[in-house]
Amino acid sequence: MNRLSILGVFLIGSVAWADHGHNKAMEMEAHSHEGHLHETLVDGKQLEVDAERFDNFIKGLSDTQVAIVSVNGMVCDFCARGIEKTFAKDALVKKIDVDLNRGKVLIAYSDEIVIDFEDIKKKIIANGQNATDLQILSI
Amino acid sequence: MGIVLRLFLIVCFSHQMEARPISYSGGSTIMTMSDNMKDSFYYHYSPTFKYSIGIEAIKDKLFDKDYSYVRFTYLVNRKNTRMSQRNLYFQSGVSLEDKDNHFFGLHGDWETRKLFAGFGYKESFNKFQDYTEKFFQTGFAPYVGEYGDLHTWIMLKSKHNSIKGDWNTYPVLKFFKGNFLIELGYDKQTNWDIHLMYRF
Repeated sequence: MNRLSILGVFLIGSVAWADHGHNKAMEMEAHSHEGHLHETLVDGKQLEVDAERFDNFIKGLSDTQVAIVSVNGMVCDFCARGIEKTFAKDALVKKIDVDLNRGKVLIAYSDEIVIDFEDIKKKIIANGQNATDLQILSI
Repeated sequence: MGIVLRLFLIVCFSHQMEARPISYSGGSTIMTMSDNMKDSFYYHYSPTFKYSIGIEAIKDKLFDKDYSYVRFTYLVNRKNTRMSQRNLYFQSGVSLEDKDNHFFGLHGDWETRKLFAGFGYKESFNKFQDYTEKFFQTGFAPYVGEYGDLHTWIMLKSKHNSIKGDWNTYPVLKFFKGNFLIELGYDKQTNWDIHLMYRF
């Protein structure tokens, strides 16, 4: 019985920790620039990016292009770790973030280079997932 | 008595952690497992996301013996969708001390951000008695965490050993954050199952 209690404490503790994070996120969303990025791009596609996450991502960046890559198979945190590590090694990459909920990887490049989707696809396949789409925003 | 002790040892072996047996290209993984029967230390390296090679050192507390396996795991098939990933792995291992002591098997899983289902089948050979092991595991995430959060899974695992003969079902809790994972299971026959994993 004591052992089951310990398992229960672990579980409740983890859920409480996660709830704390979610509440914090919801608070931040209330103050974010809502709708900021939910616009139709030139190619007619809808951009599906968490506005708050994107705002945090671009803080401190300038003269930058942000590649928003749609990735299939990125279903867990562990799955995405390799993607972050692979792109972090690329000298052309200024910053990287992962949006697990929307299956997106955000990659910041200098605005002086041409973003190569084939290279991005290769890096993501090397991690075992598939890049299916690329959208680029200049900031 | 020897058969009973061996039986317990085999049951312990079936507790090897099967989560993500291959890392990303160039990734390494360290796993440790400990219970009342043995300590295990397993390192594997993945040259590509298709396969991993590794070595597992086992300290048998019951018989006070040490031995090791060279292990090879191959990703036979993977299906990625926007919301899920499905995998089928081939696993094998051979003892460094005794080539007659070896195993091979299949391991499959399907996972979304909220649901998990997996199975495994393994045939083991040694000088004493060949045997098979099977397991099914299913679970759900009580909440969906963001990247970098603590992630939690509540699971139920059911396993069968051909020597023991009956199915054994028990709860498993899995937590991971960043590169670190811990899995806790409790079974009244084998007591605690504790696994730690670090990926780098």
